[in-house]
This record gives sequence, structure tokens and C-alpha cells, in this order.
Amino acid sequence: MNIVVLVKQVPDTETERKLDPADSTVDRAASDGVINELDEYAIEEALRLKEKHGGEVTILTVGPEQATDSIRKALSMGADKAVHVCDDALAGSDALQTAYAIAQTLGTLEYDLVILGSESTDARTGVVGAALAEYLGLPQLTLANKVDVDGTSVKIQRQTDDGYQVVEATLPAVISVVEKINEPRYPSFKLIMAAKKKPVTKLSIAEAGIDADKVGLANATTQVVDFAPAPPRTAGTVVKDEGNGGVLIADFLASKKFV
Amino acid sequence: MVDFSLTEEQREIRNWVRTFVERELMPLEPEVLRRERNGEGHGLTPQELHDLRQLAKKSDFWGIQTPVEYGGMGLDAVTTALVEIELGRTFIPFSFGGGADNILFYANEEQKKRYLLPTIAGERKSCFAITEPGAGSDAKAIRTRAYKDGDHWVINGEKTFITGGNEADFAMVFAVTDPEKGANGGVTCFLVDREAGWRSEPIPTMGEWGPASLVFDNVRVPESNVLGEVGKGFELAMKWIGRGRYLLPARALGACERLLSMAIDYANTRETFGKPLAERQAIQWMIADSQVEIEALRLLVLHAAWQVDNGRDSRHAQSIAKLYGGVKANEIVDRVLQIHGGMGYTRELPIERWYRELRLLRIYEGTDEIQRRTIARDLLKGYVKVGASLG
Repeated sequence: MNIVVLVKQVPDTETERKLDPADSTVDRAASDGVINELDEYAIEEALRLKEKHGGEVTILTVGPEQATDSIRKALSMGADKAVHVCDDALAGSDALQTAYAIAQTLGTLEYDLVILGSESTDARTGVVGAALAEYLGLPQLTLANKVDVDGTSVKIQRQTDDGYQVVEATLPAVISVVEKINEPRYPSFKLIMAAKKKPVTKLSIAEAGIDADKVGLANATTQVVDFAPAPPRTAGTVVKDEGNGGVLIADFLASKKFV
Repeated sequence: MVDFSLTEEQREIRNWVRTFVERELMPLEPEVLRRERNGEGHGLTPQELHDLRQLAKKSDFWGIQTPVEYGGMGLDAVTTALVEIELGRTFIPFSFGGGADNILFYANEEQKKRYLLPTIAGERKSCFAITEPGAGSDAKAIRTRAYKDGDHWVINGEKTFITGGNEADFAMVFAVTDPEKGANGGVTCFLVDREAGWRSEPIPTMGEWGPASLVFDNVRVPESNVLGEVGKGFELAMKWIGRGRYLLPARALGACERLLSMAIDYANTRETFGKPLAERQAIQWMIADSQVEIEALRLLVLHAAWQVDNGRDSRHAQSIAKLYGGVKANEIVDRVLQIHGGMGYTRELPIERWYRELRLLRIYEGTDEIQRRTIARDLLKGYVKVGASLG
């Protein structure tokens, strides 16, 4: 079974993340790039399916040159190869355009399953999986916290606020995963040393079959009209316990509608 | 060409260790501090240490400097230094499993089976025992005596400040076998099992680190337990001592990075007289000086490691890194404690722990004064030329 895992490089959530005031896109120079955390769960799930059913795991990344770091990490975890669509024309693409670009690139690959994290920690739109399935005309199985493949069908537990739904589809399909699904492995030292030998195919948009008029900031379907930094944290209120601490805390929680 | 960039592999290994420290070790910090405050043992429990080492082993992080043919990673000195820096970012004492003292690789095949391989596998623990109450950096002054009795050697004497001596299953003991020759062919290294009858006594210190004193009272070891050759012990001792002095300031450097980050966070949030500490010039200068010293130390440590990797005589560079690291780490932790004020002095935060722990760096494996002696002697005798460190 061949699985493609979508991997995105995002600004490190540990550092201060910024938008570029000039065009409202992510300022990638302002913070270190790291692999999107949820994508690690997607890779882990793909590797587990491969260990069970055989086949190959291919990493697919649409993003700038620096995304190589995240691709290498994915290969060090155990993925077999990678495809990196890297083209200046893609800069500023929104979620729908990204899904389109991925769908076009997938047209050049053979796969039974596409797995991705349910959202990225930068834009957090959470729509790429659904849009991708739509572009590909494939079933979408989103928010999976458990995946089972049996022959030509796949069954997931779809996490909801109250519990989960069991959703089934035939392969090929698109699955997005949540972090409850597994515990991602650390990359292995031996694979770190071997990652360089694994094939990484770099594609321009033309090579991936992506139409230049359908991607990039100028053609985006959504626009960031305005943005503002989160307000700085204000000093907290100190509650002095003079025998009535419990009441004061209860009042506070009630005033914030926590209770 | 001077190229300060890391290779992709080095960056990935560094990032791996960083993630491991952040995900596996740092979450244990409050509990370790709590246990130490309550006198419930220091650092990790043996079970915690074992589990963490096994977790790392699953990803082949095992035997950082152990040669590949022994199942280790065989990392070069620069990459090992990068690993140590990351491990230093937590005060929890952790090292990867799969390591063994470098001189155990000089064991014969039969000894390797009994000592080296079980040590690498984590089944046995060793300690290196040369220091005595009257012999530290002046190791030639050791008095522990071993005399031949049939096909056995009988050892008498006392060793002190032996790291790992309380936990060790066997000791690499250096004893005088020929008093007339002394250090010039009269010292031999013995592999001595605890069952042979030596005793260890813990030595309480100002840090959480606890060495041992070892007592040898007519301890008998067979001839087959001589490591290397009779009379060649001092050469082995020098190999052990020179195995990686640059790694000590590397770990301290990691601690300094973490401490400075804590100071920056605190300075940005703690307000005094209506302004954050960060706006006070006195605080800014402490932060700036610490950063300059941290970056200088990084270059000294990596330069020494680079010399090791390139087969150069790195002793001078290692002494410089060790001296600078010891002095500056102590100044930095003092400043960070000062910036934190009363909070820094409490045992709620790990700063006072580091303050006690880092003090040791100016003493063990060659005091500041010994390093200065080495550095000065190299220059005054002309072994090293001023300004020639790049060749």
C-alpha cells in the first residue's frame, strides 16, 4: 500500500510568530521553521500502516526552500522518499490554492492513501484535507483518531466533541488525523545519517502540472484584509485569602462564566 | 576557510537531542526538584534513567562515542559537544546509555567480555579510581600499593572523589607496583570487582553530585585482571583524563543558555516601580555580558572539539575551554540568580541548584589553577605560539 503524507513547515510555535505587514503573509524569516506538529502524527500513522501492510511512504511538501528541514525529519522518521514542490510562484497561496497544488502534484504519483494533519499551527484553517478530497474526487475521512485498513477499504474513528463516529470508505482516500491517534516516534540516528541517500524529487509548478494562474498571492481566493497582534497579557488579579478565598475564587469563575 | 555552519546531520542530531530534552527530561524537572528538596534522592531514579535510555535506544541514540563496531553511534567530537550542550539545558543529570570508559577498549578479549561489553550494555557500572587524598592533578604522587603474591596482586590504599564509586560494580584502580620506577613504569591499572572486597563511602558535597571514597584493604585480584600491561598504568590514566575535557564546559554552556533564557523571561515580566526589569540598564548589561560570554564559550568549546576531530594536539585548546567555561558559567549563574532576586535564592527554581553544581566545574578534572598552569607552561616553554591557534 502506497501512502502519501502531506508535510508542511511552519514557524516554531515556541518563538514569536509574525505576519509581514507588506502583504499580510507569514514572516518566515522572523522565526525558525519546524515541521507542523500534527504532521508528525500523520507520518507516524503512515509508517505504522506501512509496517503492517507493506508499501511505501512518500512525503509531499509544497513550500519554500527551507522546508527541506522538515522533509529530512520526515525521512529520518522512516519515510522512503519525498516530493518537494518548490516554486516562487506559490508564495502567498491560500488554503484552497494549496489544496489545488497538492491535488495536481498527486496526479503525478501513485497512491492508495493520502494522510495529513487535521490543521497546521500557523494558519489553522483546517480545510486543506477537505478541499483536497474535493479536488481529487476522493472520499474524505477527517479528524481520525484511529485508522484501520482492510483490503480495499479503510475505516476510521472520527473524533467529535461527544465521542467518535465510525466512518468507512474505499481506497484511495484522504485522511486527516488528530493528535490522539498515536505517539510519533523520534527520528532514528541511523536514518538521520541515511536520510541524504533517500530520493527527494524537486518539482517546479510546471513539472507538477500546476497552473501558474491558479496559485500565488495575486490569485488567492481569500484575502487577509487586516490583522493585529494579540493584546499583551494584562497583570492578573491577586486574591488575598482572608478566610473568604474560596468564595472569591468561585465569584471570579462565575463572573467569567466558567461555572 | 572558516565555516561555522553545521552539517545537516549535525543539525538533525542536535534537534533530536533538543526535542528529547524538552519532551522527556524537562517535564520531570519539578518532580526532581521536589524530591531533592525533600531529601528523597537526587536526579533521576535508576528506573527513570533506565527507561529514558531505552527510549533513546529505540532511535539508536546509544553509545554516543562508542565505536560503531561495538553498536555505538561513534559520533565525532564536534557533534558530541553539540549533544552535550543540549543535555546541559536541563539540570537533570542524564547521559545516553551504551557508553564505556575509553580505556576499557584496551582490555584483552577475555576482559572485554567481562567488563567492556557488559558496561556498554548497561549491565555493569564502572568507576575510574586514581585520585587519592594526597594525589589529585599531581597523580604521580599516588600511594596505593599493589604487590605480587603468587598469581595474584594484593591492593592496599584509599581512593577519594571517585565519580560513580558508590554505584560501581567494578573499579579501574591505579596502584604503584614498582615504587622505584613510580609513574615512569611503576604504576599499573587493575580491574577490581566489588566482590573482591573494596568498600565505598559516599562523600556529601555542596552539589547534588556525590562521589565516593574507596578503601582497599588487602584486596586480592588475579593477574588476569591487569588492564593493559604491568607498569603501563600511567599511560592509560593519561588517556582517560584526556578523553574529552571539552565536554565539561559544553554541558555548562547548555546550562548557561537555559539560565540566560530564564533571566530574559523574568526580566521581561517582573515589574519594579512600574517598569519591567528589562528596562533597567543594570539588568540589560548583565544580560548582554552573559550573551557575549556564552557565544565566546561556544567558539572555544567547538574549536577544541574541532582540533580533536582533526587529530591535532588539542590539550591547550581544551584547557582554555575548560578554564573559561568554569569561570564564566559561575559568573553567569550568579548574575541570573541576582536578576531573579529572592526568587533565585529559593529552591522553587533550579537556579540555586545550578549555582551549587556549576561551582564544581572550577575544581574537578583539573582546577582553574591547573588549567592556567598548563596554558602558561605551553606558552612560556614555546610549545604553543601566541596567535597560532588556527595553524
